Amino acid sequence: MFGLNKIIPVEPNINFLGLRRNFLIFSILAMLISIVLLSIKGLNLGIDFKGGTLIEVSTKNTSIGELREILSSSYSDVSLQEFGNENIILIRLQNKSNQESIETVNSVKNLIQDKVVEFRRSEFVGPTISSELLFRGFQAVSFALIAILIYIWLRFEWQFGFGAVVALTHDVLFTLGLLSILNVEFSLATIAAILTIAGYSINDTVVIFDRVRENLRKYKKLELVDLFNLSVNNTLSRTIMTSLTTLLALISLFIFGGEVIRPFALTMIIGVIIGTYSSVFIAVPTLLIFKFRPQDEDD
Amino acid sequence: MKNYPIWKSFTVISLVLLGIIFSIPSIIYDENSENWFLKNKINLGLDLQGGSYLLLEVQLDVLYKEELDNFVDSVRLISRDQAVKIEKIDIQENEVLVFFANKEKIKDIRDSFFQMYRGVSLQISNNRLSIKLNDEYRKIIQDSAIKQSLEIVRKRIDESGTKEPLIQRSGKKRILLQLPGVKDPERIKDLLGKTAKLTFHIVDDENTSALQNNLAPFGKIIVLDIYDENIKYLLDKRSVVGGENLVDAKGSFDQTEGHAVSFRFDTEGAQKFGKVTTNNIGKRMAVLLDGVVITAPRINSAITGGSGIITGNFNAQEAADLAVLLRAGALPAPLEIVEERSVGAGLGADSIAAGQIAAIIGMVLVCVFMILIYGTFGALANVSLIVNLFIIISLLGTIGATLTLPGIAGIVLTIGMAVDANVLIFERIKEESLKQTKVFQIVKNGFDRAMSTILDANITTLIAAVLLFAFGSGPIRGFSITLSLGVIASMFTALMLTNFLVYMYLSFANKKELKL
Repeated sequence: MFGLNKIIPVEPNINFLGLRRNFLIFSILAMLISIVLLSIKGLNLGIDFKGGTLIEVSTKNTSIGELREILSSSYSDVSLQEFGNENIILIRLQNKSNQESIETVNSVKNLIQDKVVEFRRSEFVGPTISSELLFRGFQAVSFALIAILIYIWLRFEWQFGFGAVVALTHDVLFTLGLLSILNVEFSLATIAAILTIAGYSINDTVVIFDRVRENLRKYKKLELVDLFNLSVNNTLSRTIMTSLTTLLALISLFIFGGEVIRPFALTMIIGVIIGTYSSVFIAVPTLLIFKFRPQDEDD
Repeated sequence: MKNYPIWKSFTVISLVLLGIIFSIPSIIYDENSENWFLKNKINLGLDLQGGSYLLLEVQLDVLYKEELDNFVDSVRLISRDQAVKIEKIDIQENEVLVFFANKEKIKDIRDSFFQMYRGVSLQISNNRLSIKLNDEYRKIIQDSAIKQSLEIVRKRIDESGTKEPLIQRSGKKRILLQLPGVKDPERIKDLLGKTAKLTFHIVDDENTSALQNNLAPFGKIIVLDIYDENIKYLLDKRSVVGGENLVDAKGSFDQTEGHAVSFRFDTEGAQKFGKVTTNNIGKRMAVLLDGVVITAPRINSAITGGSGIITGNFNAQEAADLAVLLRAGALPAPLEIVEERSVGAGLGADSIAAGQIAAIIGMVLVCVFMILIYGTFGALANVSLIVNLFIIISLLGTIGATLTLPGIAGIVLTIGMAVDANVLIFERIKEESLKQTKVFQIVKNGFDRAMSTILDANITTLIAAVLLFAFGSGPIRGFSITLSLGVIASMFTALMLTNFLVYMYLSFANKKELKL
């Protein structure tokens, strides 16, 4: 029965809201930098959204340099990359039309046939599909934000919904900015990761908001800032615990889950950290904009 | 409160047992089992078992253009019958404008034309007849083209020996294929990339000036040779007989010509072929595949038996594949591959192994952490977590869901997130334990207070997962399925199983006070 949970006191009393200005400035800066990065450097779009051909091969008795030499004589825009270990190589090509797909893969295969043990995978995404996928991804993220807003609005007051969406927008922008800096490949799986982050972050936010709502009823006289502080403190150990177990699972996925899933795991790790941060330091302080009292009387 | 309701214990225990029992088929994973119980196993997605996903687009524009050409030919014939001279024909994107020398008979021409092509928009202004491919007419062309294409694609895939292919229409003009276990996707793509329209035409070797000027007179066409672009043929536009009259084709070997494809016509085709060969002895007969000449042998004698061979510079595989294409029939329009994802069996197996390791290690880490933090309660939560995993696996198996690589990621993520509900409950219990001393009251309040938070928090995650399912494609849908099932299962295990375990533990250990 004696667990380490006593590290975090049952009733911690940390003045989170007192630091809100510093964190607000930090987050606004982070978002601005993200926007600048996204518009200047952009994301490292994978073939899902850029179109093109990708071939993964496992090789023998050769080097990435040798393969590059063989292929670059035939293709001007070929790029090669070691994938996990030096025997596994990813070859990327930019196709201009759908028609080239069959010929490209065939001729690449013929060129390097004798150096290859196994063609592990080949993917081709045509230009019409890649723009459709990008559009649908964008649509999914926007709809998710709106649906979550509506849900929070129904379950809480609209001010909470506003706070949640501010935090979510922050999470998505901040995560995208970091993906841009780290040059992580942006694929369909990344969209899935971002939507899951949205779900996770909102989950975190809802737990704290739930407590805010409960405390608003319980402590009618308490100053709003103190009440928010109390709510964050009440839920602090849960916030930390859940983030840690989720991160443990994700780190395991990142390290052992294989090369293909790694960008997804990394995006999720970044997002969980940002999502946890934003629930405490963005979502809750945003509620201060609104005067819940004295009009607030629902019980 | 000490007596836990029997119906509740019964429900919890039977659900847990069901979860464990129905995860057995997926854990044993006997691929070819016909046993009704063992068949309830997880389907592996193409990215895990290896195979090809192809998205094909029917090139409808080609069909629309063909139809416009048909309009032109028909309108010429009609006006010839009516003895009206055509001044000019203007073919636009989806409209043909015909200018007649006089406008007396233009209404008659319009009516005869309408008899042939019901549904097109016809408009007369002065001496001009406009024939328009309107939306309804295009839709008729589109639907029949997709239907035909689906049928032909299915035949070709079946002929190629692929097991359990999934072939379905996707959207307005696309066909989606999932081909598990395909080892050579390039060959499949080759098979699908050809329209395989086979026609036989009489060659006109007399009119040499037409070829020199590269200008075909009405009723003739100029066609290139498949092997040498410098060789051209002037042919009758009308084909003698086509691939639709074939009843059989197979790869064969000819002593003098090498690999060839032998074919047999149906009765109608044999009659047509016999008649034309009888009347054209000494002339050449060109065999066209997709608009180019494969071969053009001289007709030495009438061929009335209804069978023959096509020779060309084939190797054995090419001849066999051409035979497959001819047997399956021609596509109404070319298909373009717009998306392909092929995974070899090796990578698939690696992904499964890596996913399993990540899941096990993630599980162990989370379990150790929970025990470190919550002690015995942590261990109880771990039992729930393990049962949770069994339930996810059994649900995936019984609903016949497809497990993909992102799906495995979803399961690992769920392992981390599933303890959240337990954490919420334990933290509430911790708070309650400060307020009062009655052990069972503390636990009851803890669970009750945590309930609404758990529901709110999990429903938001479900919203994101459902949207992912709605907008995602293949593998991503796999992720949203495992995530949703994981979230639902975790609510059950936390609110019912952990609840049950905590009560049992407190009853048997006979705890008088509770310090979490």
